[in-house]
Amino acid sequence: MASSFVELDVRPILRAGGEPFEAIMGAVSKLGPGQGLRLLATFKPVPLFSVLGARGFAHEAQELAGGDWEVLFRPEEGASQPPSAAAETGSADASDWPAPVQHMDNRDLDPPEPMVRILAATEALKEGDVLSALLCREPIFLLPELAKRGHAWRGAFEGDGKTYRILVRIGAAGKAAA
Amino acid sequence: MTGVTLSRWTMSYFAAALVALMAAEAMMAVGYGFPAAAIAAPETLILVHVVAIGWLSLLMCGALLQFLPVLVAQPLYSNALALPALVSLVVGLAALILAFLQLDGRIAPAVPFFAIAAALLIAGFAFVLWNLARTMAAAPTMPLPARFVVVGLAGVTFTVVLGATFALVLGGTVDYGPLVALTTAGLPIHVVAGLGGWLTFTAMGVSYRLLAMFMLAPELEGATTKAALLLGAAALGMAIAGGILAVLLGGNPSLALLAALAMGVLALALYGADVLHLYRARRRRNIELNSRMAAYALVSLAASVVLTLLLLAIRRLGDHAAAVVFLIAFGWLSGLGLAQLYKIVAFLTWLECYGPVLGKGPTPRVQDLVVENRAGKWFLLYFIAVWAGAAALLAGLPLAFRFAAALLLVATVGIVAQLVRTRRLADVKDAARLPQGARPPRLLLSCQP
Repeated sequence: MASSFVELDVRPILRAGGEPFEAIMGAVSKLGPGQGLRLLATFKPVPLFSVLGARGFAHEAQELAGGDWEVLFRPEEGASQPPSAAAETGSADASDWPAPVQHMDNRDLDPPEPMVRILAATEALKEGDVLSALLCREPIFLLPELAKRGHAWRGAFEGDGKTYRILVRIGAAGKAAA
Repeated sequence: MTGVTLSRWTMSYFAAALVALMAAEAMMAVGYGFPAAAIAAPETLILVHVVAIGWLSLLMCGALLQFLPVLVAQPLYSNALALPALVSLVVGLAALILAFLQLDGRIAPAVPFFAIAAALLIAGFAFVLWNLARTMAAAPTMPLPARFVVVGLAGVTFTVVLGATFALVLGGTVDYGPLVALTTAGLPIHVVAGLGGWLTFTAMGVSYRLLAMFMLAPELEGATTKAALLLGAAALGMAIAGGILAVLLGGNPSLALLAALAMGVLALALYGADVLHLYRARRRRNIELNSRMAAYALVSLAASVVLTLLLLAIRRLGDHAAAVVFLIAFGWLSGLGLAQLYKIVAFLTWLECYGPVLGKGPTPRVQDLVVENRAGKWFLLYFIAVWAGAAALLAGLPLAFRFAAALLLVATVGIVAQLVRTRRLADVKDAARLPQGARPPRLLLSCQP
């Protein structure tokens, strides 16, 4: 039922090697009621489907000539209210998070070593600190463990579609839910 | 996306499945069913269904309840639904065995066991299908391995519907002409839908992800994988829809099955090429026992394809169908299943026991829960016994086959003992076994606080 779409072309950011996630979430937060987002990217931005799906957007993706992708994110009826922070700690916009105090590259570790190291690192950090880690797949068994320990996170595949970057903010889930 | 937690009843599915596997091997070792009895005799039907439903289907259902959520990155729709499904399947199988014994005249036909078995097995598989379908429907994406599972689930649907039709006709509940015709001529379609559609297709889908995950190989989403999916689905459609149509029109399904075989072999060749690529492109040089043993299962799959084509060429496939089915069921499906169980049980047990305390102090690694050298010997014996058994069937040596089946049982008991030790943390050093805050896992049930 979207009457209009705001267009956002993140291809220049991606081609320059940048991370368009914040630009996309910024554009989404500025959408008016009933407005959708027309996103142009150099790859099929699969992780966004669940992130924006949690915010009440349906998606329609189509490949354009030259391998680029156009995705229409359309607000679903009855889903205009913002999602509850408690349920969606994973999808929360991280643009207001402080810069990570620790970076890890866990891409070449045998599973489940990436999960072990991230959890060990979270135990050593202070409340409010942010940890950044690179992985080679979505850490589906790690996420419930982070939630149980009260940490907030957000993650998505990078532009190459192979590297998954997760940001974990220590002890932030309880605060967001309050 | 909130991640995936442990499937509560998966270990119970695995345990029931392993009991059925050992029971089936014991039956073969004592000479129950084929080759001592005829291939269509009630004894053989009992043996085949203990393997197909009791072992392979319960194994696959238990694994899917845990790993389909991983494939589609979506929590399982219902943990609670998994238990009534398991109970329905197990009691349904028991009823089916009693019904076959009625067919044999060993027990009185007073109770309609065929109708009871049909109702319970339909209910059990429907619970599992509903649970998995709702999980997939809620998922944001459907990667290729999950699409293989969708085709596999279509395969089990047709297998169960055909099986229930046979049961109702054999039990005398139904005497509608076309359904009687389907029961007389439809057995090969039921077998292809079950072994090919449900079990092999689902195993292919899950193996794409598990092999990539455990060997640190890139996920395959290219043209060969898509073509394997489409050709395989077309082969099954041809075998099932074409076969049923041929029977209902009064013909026989052989032509449809041959056309399906041609497409199926191409699909398997593409799958084989993909799997070779996964092994070659892996970043992990020293792979673990599950991935090494999976290679023997894949070799068994390739051998059964070659054997099928050879037998077809010399027009002897009808005489030796049992050897091919044995190699597919025990070499490929059971071999892959046992190999991956070895890793899955260790990983799920580790996650259940140590997940809550990771990072808070020293914890054992997943590999500390297993002793691969010890388990490897049992696996080797297992595969040698499978290949010897297939050779004995081909050569028409029933006694040699029984000897091979006995070895198979010994090897399986050895592997199951390793799985129980893993679940009990028996191979973890005493001092490290239970760090503060960790609770020992239960044998048959997974609980997460």
